[in-house]
Amino acid sequence: MIADMPNLPAPGDSPDVADGDRLQALERITDAALASLSAEQLLRELLLRITEILSSDTAAILLLDEESKLLHARAAKGIEEEVEQGVKIPVGRGFAGRIAAQRRAVFIEDVDHADILNPILREKGIRSLLGVPLLVEDRVLGVLHIGSLVPRRFTGEEAALLQLAADRAAIAIEHATLYEQRQLAEQLQRRLLPTDLGFATGMQLASRYLPASHESLGGDWYDAFVGGNGKVVIAIGDVVGHGIPAAAVMAQLRTALRAYAVEGHAPGEVLELVNRLMTGIGPRAMTTLAFALIDTERTSLELVVAGHPPPLMISPAGEPSFLEVAAGMPLGVSELARYEAQTFAFEPGAMVLLYTDGLVENRTEPIDAGLERLRALAAGGGGVEALCSKLVARLVPSERHDDVAMLAARIEPVPERLSGSWPAERGVLAGVRQLLRRWLETRGATADEIYDIVVACQEACANAVEHAYRPGQHSFELDATYDGGRVRVTVRDQGRWRPQRGTHRGRGVMMMRGLMDSVDIEHTDEGTTVVLERMLGAEAA
Amino acid sequence: MSLLARVVEEQREDISIAAIEGEVDASNVQELGERLRTLLTNRSTALIVDLTETTYLDSAGINMLFELAGELTDRQQRLQLVVPAATPVLRMLTIAGLIGAITTHETQDAALAALS
Repeated sequence: MIADMPNLPAPGDSPDVADGDRLQALERITDAALASLSAEQLLRELLLRITEILSSDTAAILLLDEESKLLHARAAKGIEEEVEQGVKIPVGRGFAGRIAAQRRAVFIEDVDHADILNPILREKGIRSLLGVPLLVEDRVLGVLHIGSLVPRRFTGEEAALLQLAADRAAIAIEHATLYEQRQLAEQLQRRLLPTDLGFATGMQLASRYLPASHESLGGDWYDAFVGGNGKVVIAIGDVVGHGIPAAAVMAQLRTALRAYAVEGHAPGEVLELVNRLMTGIGPRAMTTLAFALIDTERTSLELVVAGHPPPLMISPAGEPSFLEVAAGMPLGVSELARYEAQTFAFEPGAMVLLYTDGLVENRTEPIDAGLERLRALAAGGGGVEALCSKLVARLVPSERHDDVAMLAARIEPVPERLSGSWPAERGVLAGVRQLLRRWLETRGATADEIYDIVVACQEACANAVEHAYRPGQHSFELDATYDGGRVRVTVRDQGRWRPQRGTHRGRGVMMMRGLMDSVDIEHTDEGTTVVLERMLGAEAA
Repeated sequence: MSLLARVVEEQREDISIAAIEGEVDASNVQELGERLRTLLTNRSTALIVDLTETTYLDSAGINMLFELAGELTDRQQRLQLVVPAATPVLRMLTIAGLIGAITTHETQDAALAALS
């Protein structure tokens, strides 16, 4: 009842297919025009041609999912229900499962007396079946089978033709799958990486992401955002695996990390919470991570590392050294893993570099050599963009087996004179505050003086923001100088302060006057200029 | 709002308590104000706004507190502030003339005691 193909008549013995017909059939299956079709169209077209050439009633293609070891019905003719109902057959079981497990053609003459798993085949009244594996370089991609509604002995020649169609389909599926997966993974990954690295006032950020050259992307990922308490989070990770599964884990990691960090948890706690989450997701969620919380006001960096290469710190003088931190386990390995953050000074003008192992690892030398090469190359001055460009040019081969990602951050040195322009939006106020605090601190202002002056300046900035009422892009400028103990801050905008309504009119101006020694507000046709002055080391006026 | 400040809420019978942790400025004040208003029900007799952990406050936040106080008075509910002594926030409230206009206490316990 069940016969493997060797028992069938050899190709050529068959009287069923005439020579001319055979040639034509071969041409129809190997038709170059098929190559221009999408994977879906190609499978449909191949099934159509197969059923015509071999006069079969049904045909179906099932593809193997490597992870679950299940064959999924992907295309069908005459038994479309297979695809519609999402039939899944375990490898080794039933008709299709046996073909995949044994990697050879299987013929079933009488379905009623055979081990058939898929009830649809019987329900459709199929009596005889012939199936062949879809093979690429000895790997089983799936199964192609045809069926007959009347009892039929398929010939060896027919089996050979079917195998030819299967080979053709296998190559097309392989190409299309790889291409589609890479496209998908790339699109997904692009959406997981931050697009705006200019969000942090008083900081410069730069990043590079270079996907692996061939086949699927690796699992490299990075992020930078404002966490709880206005501190800046930078993080980089390497998810085990590649392609779409890795990107899916990445998406979860990114969400979890942002959620916990924005809640204001301490860095070690953030990693422990994310780890617990990732461990629950499953063994495929393993990932390494370096996570740093940057406090631009206190110029410090809290670092916590989970099985990731050590971040590199480059001093303001351009001397690089790795940040020595006891690395915890990669995330997603053990629920019991503990993560402890260490605090490092992050001086203005210094740079910190997070990177993935693709930057320091190659297949021909130990990782220590790669780390040392990175350290040596990172020496010297320059900004974050220059650093990233140099590392890519010198360390990243154009043909690479792994992704390479890096993220560099630098706290801008506090200038003698603070000067800048910002869009007239409420969202920038917090960043301006941080910058002012740092500047006032380096001028030797006390905590109370800093608070007072910052509030007064914010009142002026907030007014500039509130009065940017003309259509179009608006901005305001802030300029702060320090001379002989006197802080002088000028806030300039192009708006005209509207007369304020309501009972709270003028409270901002009242605050400014209460907090500063002198407040000068000048309205002109070009805009409004506020000059605030205060002597440090004296009581407020 | 969550980036700059968060509100920790507590309900003690007919008194609502809201502790504002973080920074209050023009960017989040409206959202914070709405949040505080949602804490009040018709049964509420008072709202205590605790500014102990408020690390930044300027006229944007102070205006909101004034408005809130006005609304509560209209509804015969009371607003009380908790502001520890000798803090920058107290200095700001003083300069803005809010001290005296709205009852302030140094601790939540003191505010609750005054309301009971």
